[in-house]
Amino acid sequence: MKLNQKTARKKNKRTISELNKKIKNGDIQVLTVEQMKKLVEESGPEIAYREIDVVTTGTFGAMCSSGAIINLGHSDPPINITKAWINDVEACHPGAAVDLYLGATTMSETNPFEYGGGHVIEDMIQGKEVELRAKAYGTDCYPRTKLETTLTKHDLNQFYLLNFRNCYQRYNCATNSRNETLYTYMGKLLPNFKNATFSGSGSLNPLMNDPDYETIGIGTRIFLGGTHGYVIGEGTQHDPRNRFGTLMVRGNCKSMNPDFIQGAAFTKYGTTLYVGIGIPIPILHEGISKKVAITDEEILTDIVDYGVPRRTRPKLGKVSYKELKSGSITIKDRKVRVSPLSSFKKARTIAETLKTWIENATFYLSAPVERLPTDTIFKPMKQTKQIAFVENLIHPAITCKEEEKIEVVAQRIINRSINHIVVVDDQEKLRGIVTSWDITKAVAEGKEKLVDIIIKKVVTTTPDEPLEAASRKMAQHNISALPVINPHKKVLGIITSEDIANLVGRKKLG
Amino acid sequence: MVRLLLRFSEKEVGKPITAEVILEQGVPVNVLSAHINQLGGEILAEIPSAHLDKIVKAFRDRGVVVVVRKLIEVDSEECFHCGACLSLCPVNTITLNEDFSIVFDEGKCIGATCGLCADACPARAISLTR
Repeated sequence: MKLNQKTARKKNKRTISELNKKIKNGDIQVLTVEQMKKLVEESGPEIAYREIDVVTTGTFGAMCSSGAIINLGHSDPPINITKAWINDVEACHPGAAVDLYLGATTMSETNPFEYGGGHVIEDMIQGKEVELRAKAYGTDCYPRTKLETTLTKHDLNQFYLLNFRNCYQRYNCATNSRNETLYTYMGKLLPNFKNATFSGSGSLNPLMNDPDYETIGIGTRIFLGGTHGYVIGEGTQHDPRNRFGTLMVRGNCKSMNPDFIQGAAFTKYGTTLYVGIGIPIPILHEGISKKVAITDEEILTDIVDYGVPRRTRPKLGKVSYKELKSGSITIKDRKVRVSPLSSFKKARTIAETLKTWIENATFYLSAPVERLPTDTIFKPMKQTKQIAFVENLIHPAITCKEEEKIEVVAQRIINRSINHIVVVDDQEKLRGIVTSWDITKAVAEGKEKLVDIIIKKVVTTTPDEPLEAASRKMAQHNISALPVINPHKKVLGIITSEDIANLVGRKKLG
Repeated sequence: MVRLLLRFSEKEVGKPITAEVILEQGVPVNVLSAHINQLGGEILAEIPSAHLDKIVKAFRDRGVVVVVRKLIEVDSEECFHCGACLSLCPVNTITLNEDFSIVFDEGKCIGATCGLCADACPARAISLTR
């Protein structure tokens, strides 16, 4: 009886080595995960399991926590590098003499925001020559203090991609409540919820198809940047319980294909690296065939307001990847167009390429040597010093009404010795702002009506905005005060650059 | 119809040049979009193809720079079809194909008078005719 059960169980399971034998013999049955989803839908998970051995997934997106480990070899006389730059992008020097780590987000010192570590990695993978500059203190064993040379990937000993957080299982959908365009790591967000952006390939994503990490673990061989790579652990901020899993991966840059690894620049945010990752998921039992059937409709994510520059940003609702991929979603009852930030076209190509590799026996499966954690949580930072917010510095605004005479308003400005007067309506709602400079100008030009000089397009702040962000707003717009308003535009008070200067001064004295 | 990008410098911007050209030539000039202030700027206009040469001459004679070339150039080598540009275009120039390719219908583009997509491209594949 026992034996019978064992055989039955065995029949309903496959092993990696069995599948690798099939790859070797050329009779492995592979589908891309998209094709598999169709098969499961049409024929059910049992038949899909019986017919298919492996499915291939793919994703191609901006993965900022990426970079390359580089070993330069020794110079003569030798140098123990303290600082180094490749094409003006500073590399960090985490180890011995000539080992460097080049981060994707480090920006060029001569062309910041346009060229960075990600671009250097792409250029080197393309075989381009790059310029290396290095400095050192000079020691008895490493006397050299300066070095300049040009090199290509062929001159390096090791050139490995070593990415500590890649392949997010899913990500937020970003939008912007503010009345100004925001440039973020989630792309360009137009004012007043005029657009939204999202990242991730949804039902094509590797981790979405193996949510319990049954087959993806340490040692899993993967498609990375057009060549073979490996999962070397869970990524930083791995949060599997909330379906925000991540991976740490490694692969040899020297054999990568620049079609699947590309430097990129997000305007006014910085540089990054687009990384192509494909992971095979062996259908070891029928349960896996059920899990890989997950659809875009079933994958939900939060619509998050990036207009609020805080750790916890307001959530405006949930949306599925099916809606996101349709091109528009609904925010506050309005149809809003969405931009994907990761390429589905490339994700699909990656899944297809990996399928071909397995069919042609140029890629074998590997069983994980250790499972990835399924219960870690992503904690916020411990902070010992609290930062100041607008609410800590707000004071009552001196106001006036639109119909008041310039003369009266000028008198109020003098009496209260202020520079900004906030124009409100009967409900105390913001209508505009007038500065002492506007008044001076109006007098010089012989204007009498306040309406003619009111600045209607007012840059504002809210009580929960960090003071630093408010201060940056003032600098960006070259202004010296911000009315503080609530969501209904009611004026709660004002903050001025003078207040901030006083606060900073006080802190320094203290 | 042909689309013209008309560039006005600070010198010309105070004069009613577009109106003058319409009156002088008797040809309708349809202003599609404009991005202009006292320091100069650009107007995107559409005119009947048959009158292209004389309209271009009339504007050029008045010191206006006229661009008849394509308004937008997309480098297909650089574009990796991420779609960051998709939600930004106000005139539906950019669409996502069935095979997930990003496609530009260049005829719809209003060029440098808008320009919302260009700086949003992570691959820097979009350039606008200046």
